[in-house]
Amino acid sequence: MTQRQGKMDSGVIITVLICTALLVAIGAVLLVDATGRRGSGLSRVYELDAVRLASFDPNLILYHEVGPPIATGFERSRALALGANGRFYIAGDKAVHVLRDKGTLEQVIRLASEPHCVAVSAEGRLYVGLRDHVAVFDEAGQRIVSWEPLGERSFLSSIVVARDDVFVADAGHAVVLRYDKTGQLIRRIGEKDPDRDIPGFIVPSPYFDLAVAPDGLLRVVNPGRTRIEAYTFRGDLEFFWGQNSIRIEGFCGCCNPANFAMLPDGRYVTAEKGLIRVKIYDADGVFEGVVAGPDELVVGGAARVFLSVEDAEASGFDVAVDPDGRIFVLDTIENTVRLFVEREKG
Amino acid sequence: MVRPRLILVALAALLVVGVAALGLERFPPPEFETDYVRPTTTAPNPPQGLWEYVDAGVLAVTLVLATVLILRTRNRKLIFALMLFCLAYFGFFRNGCVCPIGAVQNVTLTIFDPGYAIPLAVLVFFALPLVFTLFFGRVFCGAVCPLGAIQDAVLIHPVRVPRWLESGLRLIAYLYLGAGVLFAAMGAMFVICRYDPFVGFFRLSGNWEMLVVGACLLLIGMFVGRPYCRFLCPYGVILRQLSRLSRWRVTITPTDCIQCHLCEDACPFGAIRKPTEPWPNKEYQVARRRLAFLLVLLPVLIGAGGWAGYELRQWLAMVHPEVRLAQRIYLEENALVEGTIDASDAFRALGRSSDELYAAATQLRDRFGIGGALLGAFVGCVIGGKLLSLSVKRRRTDYEPDPASCLACGRCYRYCPKEHERLKRGREGLVRH
Ligand code: SF4
Repeated sequence: MTQRQGKMDSGVIITVLICTALLVAIGAVLLVDATGRRGSGLSRVYELDAVRLASFDPNLILYHEVGPPIATGFERSRALALGANGRFYIAGDKAVHVLRDKGTLEQVIRLASEPHCVAVSAEGRLYVGLRDHVAVFDEAGQRIVSWEPLGERSFLSSIVVARDDVFVADAGHAVVLRYDKTGQLIRRIGEKDPDRDIPGFIVPSPYFDLAVAPDGLLRVVNPGRTRIEAYTFRGDLEFFWGQNSIRIEGFCGCCNPANFAMLPDGRYVTAEKGLIRVKIYDADGVFEGVVAGPDELVVGGAARVFLSVEDAEASGFDVAVDPDGRIFVLDTIENTVRLFVEREKG
Repeated sequence: MVRPRLILVALAALLVVGVAALGLERFPPPEFETDYVRPTTTAPNPPQGLWEYVDAGVLAVTLVLATVLILRTRNRKLIFALMLFCLAYFGFFRNGCVCPIGAVQNVTLTIFDPGYAIPLAVLVFFALPLVFTLFFGRVFCGAVCPLGAIQDAVLIHPVRVPRWLESGLRLIAYLYLGAGVLFAAMGAMFVICRYDPFVGFFRLSGNWEMLVVGACLLLIGMFVGRPYCRFLCPYGVILRQLSRLSRWRVTITPTDCIQCHLCEDACPFGAIRKPTEPWPNKEYQVARRRLAFLLVLLPVLIGAGGWAGYELRQWLAMVHPEVRLAQRIYLEENALVEGTIDASDAFRALGRSSDELYAAATQLRDRFGIGGALLGAFVGCVIGGKLLSLSVKRRRTDYEPDPASCLACGRCYRYCPKEHERLKRGREGLVRH
């Protein structure tokens, strides 16, 4: 009798347990957010708040903009170089526009394909980097020669002319090519070589800039490592600097700085894409201050640049510096050239 | 009699696993503003691909072992040990992925999306258990499947589920299979993976809703043997059909059935079928008329199912992210909702036109119409087929496991006196040698 009683009880317990578990399970299945409409459910700590992250101390801004922006006349401007006599050489669409100080269009050099980078020699020769080769023009804009194409994968992103050499950054192959001025390839620089302690360039996006510094060494951005590396013309890595950080002192994102230029005293002017900011670093790579932040450079400020991949990619502003230390910024979103000069101290 | 202490211990164990899983879901917040140091770039290790082949190898070996243990050795303890190994390896060590159950969707997507290439290991995981089932019955379910194992391990007090309820609940698995195939074919969602109730336990991570579902299923599984396998598993639906065709499969007795009735209640999954009596003539006549009626009803059920599935196309299509996005954009453009969501912002940032999106969504909805009709027809066919099978009496002279329902767990062997005889003979043989 007691056993019978016990059996009945356990039957009831089991039935109640099963029914409860079944109802709870059905309820839980109905609550599953299968379409992700409720979002990740994570707290605001995980939010990428661009406006908050882009903010920095305004006292760090050392420059101010002078005059109205100069229209480049392009729908998609790519690169900026400064020549003698206050000329700007701007590469964009399928041409190079030569502009005078105030923006007067002096010359149009038409090209068969989109230029990616441009440089001017002391003699006034123009070196234009197209996707896979360099084209050389004389002062009158006449093509002198096109150098040997570098193959399917090449994507020339920067070019600089030294006294006897021309250095070309090939983002597609993640290598710097040293040519003589006749277009003879002399050396490949920066390829991974553990024996020479060269880590190799990581180039996740088509931004891979270089410059020759007043100390006679080549400076190349290693964008994937968010740093600038110094090489001899023979390809030895001398030193590097740069730190990945969203903070104003560092370079943020996957691949920055997008472009840079050297001031006459050996300091650096860097331009970052994505979170657009132009900054000054001293010759040792120590952060000095800001030329212009997202709010000064882009309509809508920081929030704008994060909206789309296209915006982020188009936001690789180019920078150039004249002998007086004035900074010219090529705004690749508005397709204008903007001039920044140092603020009066005190 | 249930031992309440046993139930309490099992519940406590469930709670511990569940809490651990929930506890590990969160990870430290990313440090956007601190002194986060980017790790140095290193070349990724290659072994993921290698592991896939190791997994496929382990699957093949365990299937062979399971076949030997279930059909030749007939040793429940060894089967249970193999089952625990597979639970540990495929479940907790390999995190329940790849699993043949979800692989159904990969195979479907391969057929319908030319841009999708199925990994070889996934194909092996899908096909190998099917091949073994075709020859040896559901040996995969019996000892290799980690989802089956986790349920089998908690079964402490099996209760009998009435046949009518069992048959009715099993329809859910057919529906689930149909939905899994439909959504995978449309590229909408891998619904079987999304609603996997045990993967959260295996990974000690997952959304709380599915952890609750998994815990509830394990709780139910303490009394109703392997509820997921019997009533929900979409892969099990395919295995059931193949197992019917298998030549060498589980038999309760190792030799011949002496009809002692001792195994009658041995199966916790209600898979043992009794010998049948011949039908009295009157009943036979009624059954014949019923069969004729059901044969006429079958196309009606298929048609009705197809029609219902087609009518549900709008609702089914909402599972596809593209259709949901189109609806959201429509609502936003017509000021029927306030604000935007991440998906609509991203859509606008990409510069795609809304007309293009609407056209794509309409096309998808039409495809869901066809898919829904096929799914409905399939469900109608299953219901009709089930009704037909109930009115057909199979002749059975011995106690034997139903080839489709038997999960090859080996529990019933020891209930058979002939099995004891076999074991005794084996022991004596050993002694003589
Ligand atoms: S082996 Fe026996 S006990 Fe196990 S499922 Fe099959 S019939 Fe049931």
